[in-house]
Amino acid sequence: MEAPPVTMMPVTGGTINMMEYLLQGSVLDQSLESLLHRLRGLCDNMEPETFLDHEMVFLLKGQQASPFVLRARRSMDKSGMPWHLRYLGQPEIGDKNRHALVRNCVDIATSDNLTDFLVEMGFRMDHEFVAKGHVFRKGIMKIMVYKIFRILMPGNTESIEPLSLSYLVELNVVAPAGQDIVSDDMRNFAEQLKPLVHLEKIDPKRLM
Amino acid sequence: REEKQLELTLEALISQVADLKNSLVSFIYKLENEYDRLTWPSVLDSFALLSGQLNTLNKVLKHEKTPLLRNQVIIPLVLSPDRDEEIMRQTEGRVPVFSHEVVPDHLRTKPDPEVEEQEKQLITDAARISPDAAQKQIQSLNKMCSNLLEKISKEERESESGGLRQNKQTFNPADTNALVAAVAFGKGLSNRRPPGSGASVQSGQPGAGAIIAGASGMQQVPMTGAPAQQQPMLAGVQMAPAGQPGKMPSGIKTNIKSASMHPYQR
Repeated sequence: MEAPPVTMMPVTGGTINMMEYLLQGSVLDQSLESLLHRLRGLCDNMEPETFLDHEMVFLLKGQQASPFVLRARRSMDKSGMPWHLRYLGQPEIGDKNRHALVRNCVDIATSDNLTDFLVEMGFRMDHEFVAKGHVFRKGIMKIMVYKIFRILMPGNTESIEPLSLSYLVELNVVAPAGQDIVSDDMRNFAEQLKPLVHLEKIDPKRLM
Repeated sequence: REEKQLELTLEALISQVADLKNSLVSFIYKLENEYDRLTWPSVLDSFALLSGQLNTLNKVLKHEKTPLLRNQVIIPLVLSPDRDEEIMRQTEGRVPVFSHEVVPDHLRTKPDPEVEEQEKQLITDAARISPDAAQKQIQSLNKMCSNLLEKISKEERESESGGLRQNKQTFNPADTNALVAAVAFGKGLSNRRPPGSGASVQSGQPGAGAIIAGASGMQQVPMTGAPAQQQPMLAGVQMAPAGQPGKMPSGIKTNIKSASMHPYQR
């Protein structure tokens, strides 16, 4: 595995210059079943898939004003799966012609000593959470409906409590840079989930 | 060229019919084996699928490139009372022999003689009615239909608005914001830090040089407010305590505002 760049330059070149297109929304617990039913109807015909993941967010403080962030994720319910290391760039809202939030993204599968490696490099863990939910696919689109759990005791993923009475709903597509056309498909799909869920491009900066 | 066209059409028809057959099979299976936990929406789903497939089949039949199938003649060349494995396989065991007994049933293009008789009867009956009487009957039928339609659509509208009122809220925008903030920069997730600590807020923003100005201001607030809790944690990690006293006032403002706006923040 290559060392993560400490610069704030975007990762470019080759096949790794991928962008994530993202729409987000939420659904209340009591409406979850209706949403899942609708998704089962809309999405590719596949076995219903659930996941239970533990995500840890690591920071590396450099000379820059803001730290470098990496996300390490592991599956808690399926053994033998690789860990997932993810870099996410600064999200761009863009104009009205683009219907989804866009950010740079790099995804790598790693071995299970990832956290040790990151700590050795000088990263420190900032926060962690447990995500439990359902995943659907339609073509290259991925739809995740999941609950976020706060971890009460650091490192103990057994003692958790839900963050809210809603499930987070994310519709995303990972595509090479510049393929804004995929956001049209995403918008069309999001339209089909209304009025159950309103998927929007939400600028996280607004929520800081 | 025509033959090729015909072949293509047949291929399309066969695949459509196969699709339809598969859907029917799975629907029948559902009805027979899962009738105790079958839900109405899932039955409707199956019906929708079938009706869609029938529509596609119709479209193929009506397509302008489809040659007139009624002009095609099929003649049985060989009839045999012996068991035919090939036909057995192709019909999935339904027709074991291609004999004089089954061929009239499978290749007929006309209805049964009794049905034909009934149809003839109906046609003569229809011819006997005077145009005036027919017109009257048509009008009364139309009236009945439109009345019925009106009733149904009224009922539909009422139940729909009732339904809307019932599940008016399926999502909560405040929850959306809280959840997005949690995955984006861990807001409200951490137990180790005192509430509202800017450190977690700032953390999830790689390359946020420009927008961080306000956030690093926020970071100062809990440090002054709760130094005992904050200091040990900072000592253990590599965190440059970037002092920006000039930003403090704005930081305080932001912090208070965000704390009151987000119900899930601890």
